[in-house]
Amino acid sequence: MTLELHGLAKSYGGFVAVEGADLKVGRGTFLTLLGPSGSGKTTILSMIAGFTEPTSGQIFLDGREVTQEPPEKRQFGMVFQGYALFPHMTVAENVAFPLRVRGMAKAEREEKVKGALDLVQLSRFADRLPKQLSGGQQQRVALARALVFEPALLLLDEPLSALDKKLRAELQEELRALHRRIGRTFINVTHDQEEAMSLSDSVAILNHGRIIQLGAPEALYEQPRTRFVADFLGKSNFLPGTVREVTQGALGVQVGALRIRQAAGAAKAPLGASVLLSLRPEKIQVLEEGEAADNVLEARVVSWSYLGAGYSIIVDTALGPLRLAMSAWRAPFHPAEGAAIRLGWSAEAATIVEDDDVS
Amino acid sequence: MFPKGMPRNAGWWALLMPAFLLLTVFYVAPILQVLSISFTEPELGFGNYERILTNRSVQRTLMTTGRIAGITTVLALLLGYAVAYSVTMASERARRWWILCVLVPLWISVLVRAFAWVTLLRRQGLINDALMGAGVIQEPLELVWNEFGIIVGMVHYMVPYAVLPMLSTMREIDPRLMTAARGMGASRWVVFSRVFLPLSLPGVVAAAVLVFIFSLGFYVTPAILGGGKTLMVAEWISVQILDLIRWGFGTMMATVLVVTILVTLGGFSRVVNMRKLFGGGG
Amino acid sequence: MEGAYKPGWFARSTGLIVALYLVLPILIVLPVSLTDQRFLSLPRETLSLQYYRNLFSSPEWFSSILQSFWIALGSTTLAVVAGTLFAIAAWRLDRRLVNLMRALMLLPLIVPSIVYAIGLYRYFRWWDLLDRVLGVIIAHGVTAIPYVVITVSTALAAFDPRLEQAARGMGASLPQLLRWVILPRIMPGIVSGAIFAFIHSWDELVIVLFIASRDVFTLPRRIWDGINENVDPTMAAVAVLLVVFTVLLLLADLTVRKKRDS
Repeated sequence: MTLELHGLAKSYGGFVAVEGADLKVGRGTFLTLLGPSGSGKTTILSMIAGFTEPTSGQIFLDGREVTQEPPEKRQFGMVFQGYALFPHMTVAENVAFPLRVRGMAKAEREEKVKGALDLVQLSRFADRLPKQLSGGQQQRVALARALVFEPALLLLDEPLSALDKKLRAELQEELRALHRRIGRTFINVTHDQEEAMSLSDSVAILNHGRIIQLGAPEALYEQPRTRFVADFLGKSNFLPGTVREVTQGALGVQVGALRIRQAAGAAKAPLGASVLLSLRPEKIQVLEEGEAADNVLEARVVSWSYLGAGYSIIVDTALGPLRLAMSAWRAPFHPAEGAAIRLGWSAEAATIVEDDDVS
Repeated sequence: MFPKGMPRNAGWWALLMPAFLLLTVFYVAPILQVLSISFTEPELGFGNYERILTNRSVQRTLMTTGRIAGITTVLALLLGYAVAYSVTMASERARRWWILCVLVPLWISVLVRAFAWVTLLRRQGLINDALMGAGVIQEPLELVWNEFGIIVGMVHYMVPYAVLPMLSTMREIDPRLMTAARGMGASRWVVFSRVFLPLSLPGVVAAAVLVFIFSLGFYVTPAILGGGKTLMVAEWISVQILDLIRWGFGTMMATVLVVTILVTLGGFSRVVNMRKLFGGGG
Repeated sequence: MEGAYKPGWFARSTGLIVALYLVLPILIVLPVSLTDQRFLSLPRETLSLQYYRNLFSSPEWFSSILQSFWIALGSTTLAVVAGTLFAIAAWRLDRRLVNLMRALMLLPLIVPSIVYAIGLYRYFRWWDLLDRVLGVIIAHGVTAIPYVVITVSTALAAFDPRLEQAARGMGASLPQLLRWVILPRIMPGIVSGAIFAFIHSWDELVIVLFIASRDVFTLPRRIWDGINENVDPTMAAVAVLLVVFTVLLLLADLTVRKKRDS
C-alpha cells in the first residue's frame, strides 16, 4: 500500500505539534519516523491511524483520501506502545479480535489465528492471558494481532521501547525478517536511532514538528542535511568556518587558524560564506610519522574510554576539543592521557551542514 | 453549539443522550418549574421572598435549620475524625472491620435508623427504662420529639458521610512522617497537632461542606425524631404544600434552600475538589 | 508494617466508642423484634417469633415488599443503562461541555429530595404519572443515575485508553467495542452501581410521599406510616429484614470489588 501525506499539520491551541508534513511511502517500504520526544512523530502516526484529527492537510492510502475516515475504516494493523493487549482475553482471543469484528466464521478464524501465532512462534501460549507472558512474548502477540487480518499497512508505535537492550536487538532482527517475508508497508515510530537505522529502508528525521530530512539510513548518516540530523544520528564534531577559497570541486575553509580543504559536494558555498562542517569521529585518522593527509592537525589526548570494539577519545586541538573513534584492533597507538598525536582527514570526510541548532 | 469533531464522535455523543435527556426532562425541568412558582403564586413578583424579612414562622424555621445543621456538622466532624483517624492508623486486617462499621450504617435505611432511635429514646424507650430500672432517675427524660432527638439521629446519619472524605485525605498522608516526628523527639500530641492535623485539614473541610449541605435539606430523620414540634426547612416545605396548599410560600423556601446549598458548594469548590468529593472519575 | 505509627489510647478508645454509637442502635432492633411483649421493648421472659409471623402473614406488608422490589428492579435497570452509557461516553469524550454534563448528573446527590419531590408532585400530575408504578420507577431511576455514573467512572479510570484505540484500529465498530472490550472490563463497576441504585430505590421515602398515595404503597411508605401511627414490634421485624437485606447486598458488592482488585 502506498501512503501519501500532503501538508499534514496539527496544532493544539497555540502549540504546533506537526507543521505541514509531506511524505510519500511506497508499497512494501519500511519507513521509520525518528525524532526526540515532542518532535511530532507520534502525532503523525496517530493522524495516519485516524486517532487524531489533523488541523489541515490530507492523507491518501493508495490514492484514496482517508483524512476524514474513522480509524476502524482505514484497515491498518497497529502495534501500540505498551502493546495494548486486552487483559481479559487469552492470547488466541486477542489475536482473533480483528477477525471477529470483521465477522469471520469461527473455523476460518481459528486457522488464521494459528497461522499468525506460528509466524511469531507463540502457538504454545495460545490459551494464556497476556499478564502471564514476558515482555518480549507480549510484543509478539501484539505483532501477531496486528498482522492477522493481513493489512497492507502496519503501524508500529515505539514497538520495542519497553524491552531490555538484548531482547530489543533480537526482536529488531525478527521484525526486519518479517518485513522481508510478508512484503507489506511498515511505518515505525521510535526515538532510538540504532533501531531506526537497522530496521528501515527509509528514515524521516523529525524535530519540533517538522520533517528535517528523509532518506535511506546510509544517506542520512553520510550526508546529513543539517546539524540536528548529524548530531541525532550518531556522533559528530562540528567546525564552524568561512569559505576563503573556491576551486574546481574543492573549497578552502578557514576554521580558526587552520585552512581546511573540503570537497564542495552538493552544498552551495560561495566565497565568504559561513559554513558548518560536520566531521564524524571515525573519519578522523591518527597519522603515523611522516604520513600525509588533506588536513593535518596536532592534538593532545584529554580523555579516552575503551568500548571493546574500539576507543572513544577526546583530544584537545587548536580548533578546540574533538572526538575521535579508533578501532582497537591494530590501533596505531595506545591512548594515554596527555599523549601528543597527529590527526588527519581527507577532503571528502566532512560534510557541510546547515546550522539549525536553536539551543 | 456543537463542538468540533461532532460528526466523527457522533456515536459517543449519542451514548450521552439517554442520561442527559432523562435528567433534563425528569429532573431539572420539574425542579425549575416548581421553583419558578415562588415568583408567580399567589401573584407575580418577589412577594414571597419579602416574607423572609417579615414572617416569624419563616425566620424561626431558618434559624432552627441553621442551628441544627451547624451543631450536627460540628459533632459529626468530631466523631467522624476520631473514626477516620482510627481507620487510618489501623492494621490492614482491622481496617476492613472499621470500614464495615462505617459503610453498613451508611447504606442502612434511614427509616430503620430513625425507628431504632425512637425505640431507644422515647419515654417508655429502652434508655429511660434502663435508667429508671437502675434508679438513676425517677421521671423519664425527654430524649426525643425535640431538638436533642433530632441531633442525635442526624449526627448518627451524618458521621459516615463525614468519615469518607476525611479518610481519603488521611490515607494519603505518609505514615513515615509521624514515625519520623516521634523519632525527632516530638510527643504524641505534638505529632498530631503539628503534623497530622494540618495535613488532614482539606478532608475536614470537604467533610464539613458535605455534612452541612446534606443536613440543611434533610427530611426523614427530623420529621420522625422531631415529632412535628421542631420543624426544619424540608418538613416546613412539606407542610406548606401538602397541608396548607401554599405553593408560592413553600417553593420560595425550597428556592432559598437550593440556592444556599449551591452557593455553599460553589464557595468551597476552590478549596474542595468536588469531583473527588463525589467520586467522579476521569 | 514494621515500625508503623500507632495511635495512643485516647484516639483508639474514642474511635471505638463512635463505632459503637454507629452500629449498636441499629443492632438493637434485633432483640426488640424478638420480644414477647405487646409493645416495643426488650424480650422479658422468652424470645418470640410472633412478630415475624405477623409480618409474613400480612398481605399489606407482603404487597409493599413486592411492589418495592419491582420498582427497585425497574429503576435500577433504567439507571444502569443510562448511567453506564453516559459514564463511558463522558470518559471517552472528556471535554468541557461533557464535564458540565457530568456535573449535572451529580445534581440528584446535592439537591435535597424534598425539592425534587414537590417538583414532581406538580409535574407528574401533568404527565398523568401520579400514583403510578411507572412514575416512581422514573423518579427513582433518574435519581440513581449519579451512583452508577460514579462507580462506572471510577472503574473506567483504571481502563487503559489505548485498548479502545487498539480495538478501533483493528476495525471494531462502536457496539463491538462496547460489548467485547469496554463492558467486560468495567463490569464490577457496573454491578456496584446497580447495587447502590437498587438500595437507593428500595429505601427511598420522600419522593414516594409526594407522588404516590394509594395504588403505589412501597415498603418505606408503609414503615413511615407504621412509625407515625402505631409503633408495634412488627416494625422491628421489618427493620431486621431490611438490615439483613442491605448487608447481604453490601457483601455482594464487596465480593465484586475484591474480584476486580485481584
